[in-house]
Amino acid sequence: MTDLTSKPSSVPALETSDIQATVLRPRPKPYLGEYLLLRIGDAEQGREMLRRMIPHVAPADGWWAPSLPGWLGIAFTFEGLKALGVPQASLDSFPIEFRQGMAARAAILHDFGANAPANWESPFGTPDVHVALAIYAQNEPNLRRVLELAHQARHDLPQISVVYRMQFGELPEGRNPFGFKDGLHNPDVEGSGPASEAAVKAGEFLLGYPDEKGETATVPVPLELRRNGSFVAIRKFHMDVAGFRRYLRAQASSPADEELIAAKMVGRWRSGAPLVLAPERDDPQLGSDPERNNAFSYADDMQGLKCPFSAHIRRINPRDALKDEVVAVNLHYFLRRGTNYGPPLPAGVLEDDGAERGGVFLLIGAHLQRQFEFVQSQWATDGNFISHGTEQDPLIGNNEGEGVFTIPKKPARRRLHGVPRFVTVRGGEYCFMPGLRALRWLAALDSSST
Amino acid sequence: MATQTAIRPESNQTLEQKIQRVRELYATGPAIGKSALETLLREMKSGTSRREPATRMSSAGRIGSTQGKVSELLLIAPFAPGGAERLRALLELRNGDFSDTDRVGTVHDMRFLFLDNDTKLLFATAYDGDWDPYIDDFATKIPDGLDVLFSVCDGWPGIRSPAIKDWIVKHQIPAVGWYVAYPDLTVRDILRLKRVGKAVDEFLDQIS
Repeated sequence: MTDLTSKPSSVPALETSDIQATVLRPRPKPYLGEYLLLRIGDAEQGREMLRRMIPHVAPADGWWAPSLPGWLGIAFTFEGLKALGVPQASLDSFPIEFRQGMAARAAILHDFGANAPANWESPFGTPDVHVALAIYAQNEPNLRRVLELAHQARHDLPQISVVYRMQFGELPEGRNPFGFKDGLHNPDVEGSGPASEAAVKAGEFLLGYPDEKGETATVPVPLELRRNGSFVAIRKFHMDVAGFRRYLRAQASSPADEELIAAKMVGRWRSGAPLVLAPERDDPQLGSDPERNNAFSYADDMQGLKCPFSAHIRRINPRDALKDEVVAVNLHYFLRRGTNYGPPLPAGVLEDDGAERGGVFLLIGAHLQRQFEFVQSQWATDGNFISHGTEQDPLIGNNEGEGVFTIPKKPARRRLHGVPRFVTVRGGEYCFMPGLRALRWLAALDSSST
Repeated sequence: MATQTAIRPESNQTLEQKIQRVRELYATGPAIGKSALETLLREMKSGTSRREPATRMSSAGRIGSTQGKVSELLLIAPFAPGGAERLRALLELRNGDFSDTDRVGTVHDMRFLFLDNDTKLLFATAYDGDWDPYIDDFATKIPDGLDVLFSVCDGWPGIRSPAIKDWIVKHQIPAVGWYVAYPDLTVRDILRLKRVGKAVDEFLDQIS
C-alpha cells in the first residue's frame, strides 16, 4: 500500500481491500475459468450462500502482484437483489437501466435481428438470472479448487440452483477467435496503480469516489451497499470466424490484402500492432511490446488514412480522434474484462465447423447509461458521429449482410459492401458488483425487517 | 415516385372511422374548411398527391417525436424576472449568428419566441437522434453556450445539474403533427452530401 500513500493528496486512495479483484485486476495469463449463473429461490438460502462465499471473493488489494492462483467474482442482477430481500427503498434507488435489465434495453442497444433477446441462450434475459459468478484461474487444478469452494457454498441449499454455466480459456498466443491479440487496452483507474497522466477518475468505475464530472454517486442507497461497487454489463458473443475469413477472401485481391482489410477493420494488425504506428504492414515486435503497442494517438491521422474512422478500436476508444467534437470522451470509458471460449478454428479453414466459439465480456463502470449504452448505441452501431451515416462497427456491429465499411484512401476512399454480422449476441445481463463490505451487508439482511 | 394509396388495407376500418370523425368535426366549423377537407380526402383516396410515408412519427426519448433520424423538441418555459430582456439583448447581439452551434453537429435549426407579453420563452429545435445520451457531453464541452441561453428561464437548474433532464421534460410539449422533408438525413449527412455534390460538379466540369 505504500505506493498509494505517496500520491498527491487530491487523489483519493482506493479501498482496494474492499473492491472486487474482477473490477481492477486484469485476467491472469494464461487463464481459464467458468461463468456460472445462479437462481435464488429463497432469500435466506441466498444470504446463507453469500455468507459462505464471501471469504473466497477476491479483493483487489495487491492486484499489481499477479500471483493469486484463482479468484471468484460475484455480481447480482436487479432480480437477484430482489431475491435476496434488499429493501424496496434501496431497490428503487438503482438507475433505471439496471432495474430494467439488458434485455429490456434492446432498442437502445441495437439488439435487433439475430441479436434480439428472443434469440439469446436461455436463461439470459429472463428473471431467473440472479447471481453471476466469474471464476478465473491460471490452470485446471486451481480452477477446480475455486469451483469446489463455490460448490461448497451452495451444495446443501436446495433453493439455490445453477441455471447456466460455461467454461472459458485462453486461445494459443493469447489471440481472440478471429486471430487478433486482444485485451491490449484498458483505461487507467486513478489511484489503482502507478500515477499516470492519462488516469481516469476512479468514480467513473467505482461508486464512492469523485468521477470525471466531479460528482460522487449518491445512489443506490444506502452507502453501505454502493461503496466500492460497480455496474457490469455482461455480453456473450458468438464469433463467426469462418464467415470473417470468407469475407476477407472475397473482398481482397491477395493474401496481403486480406490482412490489410482485416487490420483496417480492427485498427490493429493481428500481432496487436496499431495501424497508426504501423500503417503498411504488421510489426510483431511492436505488437508484443506493452510499452509501445498502446502509445499512440490519432492526432497525425485525422483523415483516417492509417486507421479508418470506422475501425473497431477507433470507435470503441476514440482517444483524441473526437477532440474537435462536442463529445467528452472521458465520460464514456469502461473497463473491459474479456475472455474467450470455444476451440480455435484451424488456420485456413473457411467453412464453419459448427463449434460454439467467441467471447464473454464484462464491461465495468459506474454509469451503464453514459458508458456501455452510449458506446454501444452511438459509436458501435451508428456512424453519424464520424459522418458515416448508418455505417456500423465492421467487427461487432449488428450488420445483417448489408453493412458498409469505409476505408479512407487517396485519391478515393475504398468502400466494402455486404458486411455480414461477424459477432452475434448470445446473451447478456446488467449486474451490480458490490464491494466486499457491501456483500456482507447483503448477507446480513433480514427479510423480517424489510 | 411510387404512387401508392395512402389507405393501407389493414387499417381500412379505423381509417374510415377517422375520416368519419374528421368530417363530423369539420361540419361544425366554417364552410371553407369543410369543402377544403373534401378536396383533401379525394386526393388521399385517389393517391395522386400522397405516397406511403418513408417514416412515421415515433417517440424520441422520454417525450417528443422522431421522423427517421430527426427528432423535434419544443419547450415553453416562463422567463425568470428580467430574463426576457436579457435574452432579447443577447439574441440581438448575436444577430442570427449561431455558428458556435455548428460544433454540435446534430442541430438542424433552433428558434426562440417570446410569448404572452414577454413572460414565456418558446424554444423549438429539430436535431438528430436523441439528446439524452449527449446531455453529459454538452454539460462538459459547451456548458456556457447552453446556460447563457436558458438561464433566462425560471428554475433552469444549470446544464451540469442532475436535475436538468427532468427540467427539460417538464417543459417539453410533444408535437401532434410534424413534417420532415428529409427524415433519413442527419446534419452530418447533409454536410457530407454537399461536399460530395461539389466534388462531383467539379469532376463533371473537368471532363465536359
